[in-house]
Amino acid sequence: MLDELFTEAERQLNICNSCRYCEGYCAVFPALERRTLLAPGDITQLANLCHDCRACFHACMYAPPHEFAVDPPRILSAVRLASYDRYLPPVGWARPGWSRGWPARAAAAALVGLVLLVLVGATEGLGALGRRGGPYQVIPYPALLVIVLLPTAWSVAVMVRGFALYWRDVHGPLRGLADRRALGSALAAAARLRNMRGGGEECYAAGDDPSPARRRLHGAVAWGFAACFAATVAAAFLQDVLGSPPPYPLLSVPVILGTAGGLSMLAGCAGLIALKRDTGPPPAVADYGLLFGLGLLALTGLLTLLLRATPVFGLILVIHLATIVVCFAIAPYTRFVHAGYRFLALVADAIEQRPAGSVV
Amino acid sequence: MIGGGNAGLAAALTAGRLVGRVLLLDRGPAALRGGNTRHTRNIRCAHSWSDAYSPGTYLFAELWQDLCGVGTGPSNEKLAELTVRESEHVPAWMTGQGARWQPPLAGTLHLGRTNRFFLGGGKALVNTYHRALAQLGVTVRYGVTVLDLLMDGDRCTGVLTRDGGVPARAVVCASGGFEADIGWLRRYWGDAADNYLIRGSADNDGQVLAALYAHGAARAGQERGFHAVAIDARSPRFDGGIATRLDSIPFGIVVNRDGLRFYDEGEELWPKRYAIWGRNVAEQPGQIAYSLWDAKVRGLFLPPMYPPFSAGSVRELAVVLGLNPDTLAATVRSFNAAIQPGGRFDPGGLDTCATVGLSPAKSHWAQPLDTPPYYAVPLRPGITFTYLGVAVTEQARVLRTDGSVLRNVFAAGEIMSGNILSTGYLAGFGLTIGHVWGRIAGTEAARAR
Repeated sequence: MLDELFTEAERQLNICNSCRYCEGYCAVFPALERRTLLAPGDITQLANLCHDCRACFHACMYAPPHEFAVDPPRILSAVRLASYDRYLPPVGWARPGWSRGWPARAAAAALVGLVLLVLVGATEGLGALGRRGGPYQVIPYPALLVIVLLPTAWSVAVMVRGFALYWRDVHGPLRGLADRRALGSALAAAARLRNMRGGGEECYAAGDDPSPARRRLHGAVAWGFAACFAATVAAAFLQDVLGSPPPYPLLSVPVILGTAGGLSMLAGCAGLIALKRDTGPPPAVADYGLLFGLGLLALTGLLTLLLRATPVFGLILVIHLATIVVCFAIAPYTRFVHAGYRFLALVADAIEQRPAGSVV
Repeated sequence: MIGGGNAGLAAALTAGRLVGRVLLLDRGPAALRGGNTRHTRNIRCAHSWSDAYSPGTYLFAELWQDLCGVGTGPSNEKLAELTVRESEHVPAWMTGQGARWQPPLAGTLHLGRTNRFFLGGGKALVNTYHRALAQLGVTVRYGVTVLDLLMDGDRCTGVLTRDGGVPARAVVCASGGFEADIGWLRRYWGDAADNYLIRGSADNDGQVLAALYAHGAARAGQERGFHAVAIDARSPRFDGGIATRLDSIPFGIVVNRDGLRFYDEGEELWPKRYAIWGRNVAEQPGQIAYSLWDAKVRGLFLPPMYPPFSAGSVRELAVVLGLNPDTLAATVRSFNAAIQPGGRFDPGGLDTCATVGLSPAKSHWAQPLDTPPYYAVPLRPGITFTYLGVAVTEQARVLRTDGSVLRNVFAAGEIMSGNILSTGYLAGFGLTIGHVWGRIAGTEAARAR
């Protein structure tokens, strides 16, 4: 299956490399031109460098119905998804079945919710659900910490392992990653999604005409996620360094960052889901998984804040925590990992572009 | 507007700003719209200014000189001069329609000053023009084949399509050459035409051109005039475009089916010579040739789309290609022996590696073929477009053989390129002709009564 994808990608990319009309778009084409032979590692790197803006497809005179049937974004998407799969642990205990499919995920979340309720009952008593204001009135801090940190640590371990395998395949020894200039230029490219508007032309996710919609919505999700992360760090700082436990006032750093980030993520996820629904090709279910997951995190988080002074606060908090636990636990098995692989692809690309690295 | 390539699009965009109702007919389906323009990439325009996309200057006189230097020079100096002069205004006009540009990159650096590259190539440009047409409210119909012009004396009243008649106050014929009609090519080339590959649309069969001739239009250009390059013989018969071209020729030798060399592979820098190799191969027996190189030069030129044939020795390579091993080995031996010692190989410029006492000589980049594996790709003539077309006035109005004009019939692009090009070709000038004459034809058609 994977071999077939590589063979087809190689066929198409050889046509691209003989044509080169698209070299003004994103980084994929200059990177392709630096290679005359395409090993699986090369194709994997090009696939992760592709930001799926589809400008090259719309510019391609060899796109179907032409007999050459060239569609780089589609084949690179397929290779990219396969590469996410390839760098996961082998199927088994390290890749649990419940990480896939909606019913299994929902059941897992319900189970975690139930465990949380039992936990609340065993420690504070179920009456604690009726308390309002701060989370620790419902669930004790150490229990909450363990519940959230366990899936996070697991996911980070699985993802770091995959990223390391990827780097080895597309670039080489891990120490090559300690390249400050390359990291800097990759960060800049990622922050501005430079490769989603190659050559200055916007992305075609919205149809036959270029539009900034997808780039902006992606920005809303990514920056929203970053703001929520910053809110968590700020809350930890307030609590553990300044000794001020939650709840925090509306005009505090954690609440402002968390609210802005949550709203931004929610709007971005909703917009991206709508965009995908509107435009047919190729509706990868994995895409929706990430968007629904992030959207649910934002939604339950905002509700927790909004309803913190009401009697349903405890229940909402349990739901939010169950969502966090499940979403964090399944992150490595969703397209959440695209951020890591794309970033590594950008770093490898920045290293390649330097004259010193250009070994012919 | 008959034809959805750059000439027809330029005419429609121009006329659409002057009159209320413009109809553009593209013979292809929507997915393959744009005719041969789909396969283009850059346009050659004179410029006294410079920017990030056209560094330096390329003045009228220099472009004029370049045009006079190809083949036997311009067919009609007056119209050619008008084309060069008007080319100066084309880039700004294109930008005004929404065209995006890209700076000349690694593979195109040598052309950066004279040729301006549009982002993503011709199909992206066609898409851009269609967006501009939609904004103007110009109607576009796809999959429409025009069979004939409906004439009333020297006035055209409409066109006859496969689906019936369409009335028109003026008609612009921008339907390309006739290169896709092998039967028509055979009239001038004989059976050799059966071995020609057509690099562009299979729809360019010259139907409108034939109709114009039937209505008395005068010819312009030579019957055998065309722009042809040597392409991979394994390419599809039609529509293979740019990906099938080969840049290996200056790096090795080229032999015909008898295993003999026939032309100086290193005569000039490749961008200045690529366009003569279509004709070179067309003149060989069986219209086939083989580009040979060895492991030394691998990676110095763009990789071919189809993997090259390879073998451990010249004789084995001859067997793979179906050539006589003795002849090919002798050709390579005498080529290797004729190389002047002491040359310094430089793929970036006209170097000092040449043969002595060999006919034909190889004037530059002559290195012995001595490092296995040896590689080869079979070549065929790949026709980009034909030049024979209709004669036009300075208003792009179609001239008749009796010297009168068809009052409201105009021609633009490849269908009238024979007024300007005789035999040779200048990279990027087909787009120049299409844009300049499309704009003239669009303006005049809008004015026609």
